[in-house]
Amino acid sequence: MQLIVLAISLVAMALIAFTFLSAARAATLPAVVPRTDPEARRRRVILGLAALGVIVTLLSLRPWPHTIPGTAAVVNVSGGQFYWEIDTDTVPLGEPVAFHAHTVDVTHGFGVMDPAGTILFQTQAMPGYVNQVSHTFETPGTYRVVCLEYCGIAHHDMLNEFTVAAR
Amino acid sequence: MTTMTDVTTVEHGPQTGAVKLTMLIAGAVFLLMMIFGLAMRAAQGALVEIEPGLFYQLMTVHGAGMVGTAGLSGATILWYFTGRHVPLIAGVFHAFLALFLLGVVLILGAIFLGGYAGAWTFLYPLPAFSAGQWEAGAAVTFLLGYTSIGVGFLLLHLEVMRKLIAAYGGIGGAMAWPVAFGRGDPKDAPPPGVVAAMASSIFNTIGIVIGAAVLVASIVNLAFPGFAVDALLAKNMIFFFGHVFINAAIYMAVIAVYEIVPDYTGKPWKCSRAFALSWTVVLFFVMAVYPHHLLQDVAMPGWALAMGQIVSYFSGIPLIAVTAFSLLVYLRGANGMRWDLATGLLVLGVAGWTAGSAPAILDGMIVVNKVMHNTQWVPGHFHTYLILGEVAMAFGFMAWLTRREGETLRGPVATVFWAYVLGGAGFVLMFLVSGALSVPRRWAVHLPEWHLQAQIATAFAALVVLAVTAFVLRYVARLGRG
Repeated sequence: MQLIVLAISLVAMALIAFTFLSAARAATLPAVVPRTDPEARRRRVILGLAALGVIVTLLSLRPWPHTIPGTAAVVNVSGGQFYWEIDTDTVPLGEPVAFHAHTVDVTHGFGVMDPAGTILFQTQAMPGYVNQVSHTFETPGTYRVVCLEYCGIAHHDMLNEFTVAAR
Repeated sequence: MTTMTDVTTVEHGPQTGAVKLTMLIAGAVFLLMMIFGLAMRAAQGALVEIEPGLFYQLMTVHGAGMVGTAGLSGATILWYFTGRHVPLIAGVFHAFLALFLLGVVLILGAIFLGGYAGAWTFLYPLPAFSAGQWEAGAAVTFLLGYTSIGVGFLLLHLEVMRKLIAAYGGIGGAMAWPVAFGRGDPKDAPPPGVVAAMASSIFNTIGIVIGAAVLVASIVNLAFPGFAVDALLAKNMIFFFGHVFINAAIYMAVIAVYEIVPDYTGKPWKCSRAFALSWTVVLFFVMAVYPHHLLQDVAMPGWALAMGQIVSYFSGIPLIAVTAFSLLVYLRGANGMRWDLATGLLVLGVAGWTAGSAPAILDGMIVVNKVMHNTQWVPGHFHTYLILGEVAMAFGFMAWLTRREGETLRGPVATVFWAYVLGGAGFVLMFLVSGALSVPRRWAVHLPEWHLQAQIATAFAALVVLAVTAFVLRYVARLGRG
């Protein structure tokens, strides 16, 4: 997903840059009367962006992204300066797993990377709360747990790992 | 009471000397913070060695310094141009600057003498959990520094709002609500800069008050650890304050675009119905959108997270369809416009701000945020609308303050301008690429496979630092010559 998001962003940013460069160049030339009413164009831009927003909202929020399947296997994760404790070193392949993340001190970011180093999901581990995040692992292997919320001097060393394997 | 038609527009804003001095301070601090940023990227690329304790101190001062200076420069722009339309008390600006500098001294002391490295976000309860890196006193000093700066901003905004309310017949008058919602004639509406100043002052005041509350709670927690705050509530308050403050900095800086660019295009920036409506929308959206910083806090109510995503997207519409769109129309309608460094940087500021909204909106979607949040994608998007947005507008304002009649964007100054654009664009691109490759943000030490992006980013950062050095030296030289 990350590379698709990058591509969409870069295309949008390039389009915006081109639009500004084109207008900046036009500003130095003799003025021309616009072929269409700018206010009519503005209305079309607003309506177009609003319509796109409604579509993107509906598509991206249904189903609710934080849904936890009732059948998920539970893995408890505890964060502290500067370690992760996980109550198992092996999680099941091909079925939903719900990670219950909490902390014993400050806020940490419980993030999981696949064997290729790509972040699969994350949630915050916050004092006084147990946050849940669910994922279904499709590939066996060793997955790295990292901290994604700055938590102090050894934040970057707050690492652990677990294995994904078939039951 | 003065009616809006009685308000006199004067040629120069008040306290021009103090404004020029403040912008010099802002420019110098921007440069210093960029050098710290360059050092951090070089360390992440294994080009230099910085031990983690110092790295996180630099990260803390870089964040606090950049956000604070963006606010300082934005508020100074707001003050200067508001002073074109209503008389403002000079002493308030002096107090604002003095309190800001006091805050800077406290923050620098807390970080470099006290070892504080809790990041600019002081995420509760991290200031009280230093893992041996700093004492509670250093954290309290840091938070008192914020408090001092916040009091200065409150004074400034209260003075601005007081005068605008008196001059334009209330909050609604200064926000152009008769034009937005009634039958008001745009010809009688306040200037666009006034509308922007009023809206920015309202939301920044509310943000700072919320920030002050969580600052005080954090200070009490440090003094009396038995006094605990709900961590989720504190995080809500911190991110409400932080989001509103940094956005206010940009919204205040854009006043320079409204006030300066028309002098070059020959087209006055009009307070149309769309403009008035958009600023009212901005007033509420800026405050409603902050939950997009908490999308991985699943303890938050679902509706709040959905609101964060939805408002995050729709916040882009006033920016794209009103400010950016109007600027593009004015530029296309200009007749043989003369470009100089000031206009180049101001227009760049709006372009960069608009471009930065794309990766920001995408990160504000829960499904994307789940894999991009707190990766380098996040500094990627906010550096886009800071380096190529607010900071560009601030340096554009400085260039305008020291402009010379008839000069154009040619020769060495054009080289410096394009070096800034290239350096800034390359720098933020490397952040975005790294974010897409799952490189976490705020890590003092990077894995070897991430070094290349950081090394390339370091080269682009050096280009930005060189360009900004030239901007600041040019400003100083011109101030010296009068």
